[in-house]
Amino acid sequence: MEYGSIVREIHIEAPPDVVYEVITKPEHVAQWWGFEASFPAVPGGDGRMARQRRDGAGTLVVPIHVVEADAPRRFVFRWVHPEGQQSTPQNSLLVTFELMPANGGTLLRLTEVGFREIGWEAAQLEAHYRSHRVGWDEHLSNLTAYTAGLVRS
Amino acid sequence: MTSTIDDELWAAIGDPTRRRLLDVLLADGSGTATSLSGHLPVTRQAVAKHLGVLERAELVVSRKDGREVRYVVNEAQFSRAVEQLASVGAAWDARLRRIKTIAESIQELRSKVE
Repeated sequence: MEYGSIVREIHIEAPPDVVYEVITKPEHVAQWWGFEASFPAVPGGDGRMARQRRDGAGTLVVPIHVVEADAPRRFVFRWVHPEGQQSTPQNSLLVTFELMPANGGTLLRLTEVGFREIGWEAAQLEAHYRSHRVGWDEHLSNLTAYTAGLVRS
Repeated sequence: MTSTIDDELWAAIGDPTRRRLLDVLLADGSGTATSLSGHLPVTRQAVAKHLGVLERAELVVSRKDGREVRYVVNEAQFSRAVEQLASVGAAWDARLRRIKTIAESIQELRSKVE
């Protein structure tokens, strides 16, 4: 099981300034994340992302706090902290986009620091989960994660 | 396993007090707002509010117990949350693919104009 930080890289056939716009502009965020986003893409900018709840009962609002906005190189933000509260390493996830020119396009690297880092009792969580579902599905998901890691590395 | 992360579930477990509540409920089996507030440095009212958020995310279920409301962890949804912790990477893979598609189509349009 993977609880730690996530690192992903993808090559995009477009220059960093285009990719940066796609990552930060609300009209694009709506396309790739499915949220109606409103946040100032400047360091310290607080905003929110909203979408219809899946059960149709009202709107889900997720706060977002911009940490770094260095076009077209880095965009860093925190999210999922409780609405109306300052984001901290204890109550939010930290997402970092790094954009590097590569082969006429962009190498985009995403890092998200997960809940293990912010101190959830993941060991307890995992023990509980294992006690209920031990079997091939777990081994298979480990294998898939491992294989995916090999392909990516 | 769905590749779309359930943001509502994330928002529910994004709060440290709520994660602590889940930990206590898992350890003790069940609890009321009163009993749970004894484990945490927050008021009974605050605990009740957090339990409401957890219940809306279906992470806990409640039943009447005399004058109090007793909460237990919803095993099915909790397992789903754990699976989602594991699948968060897959969710980002899907988002990054969409970023790539959008950026490349913008670039294609630009190069046609130039």
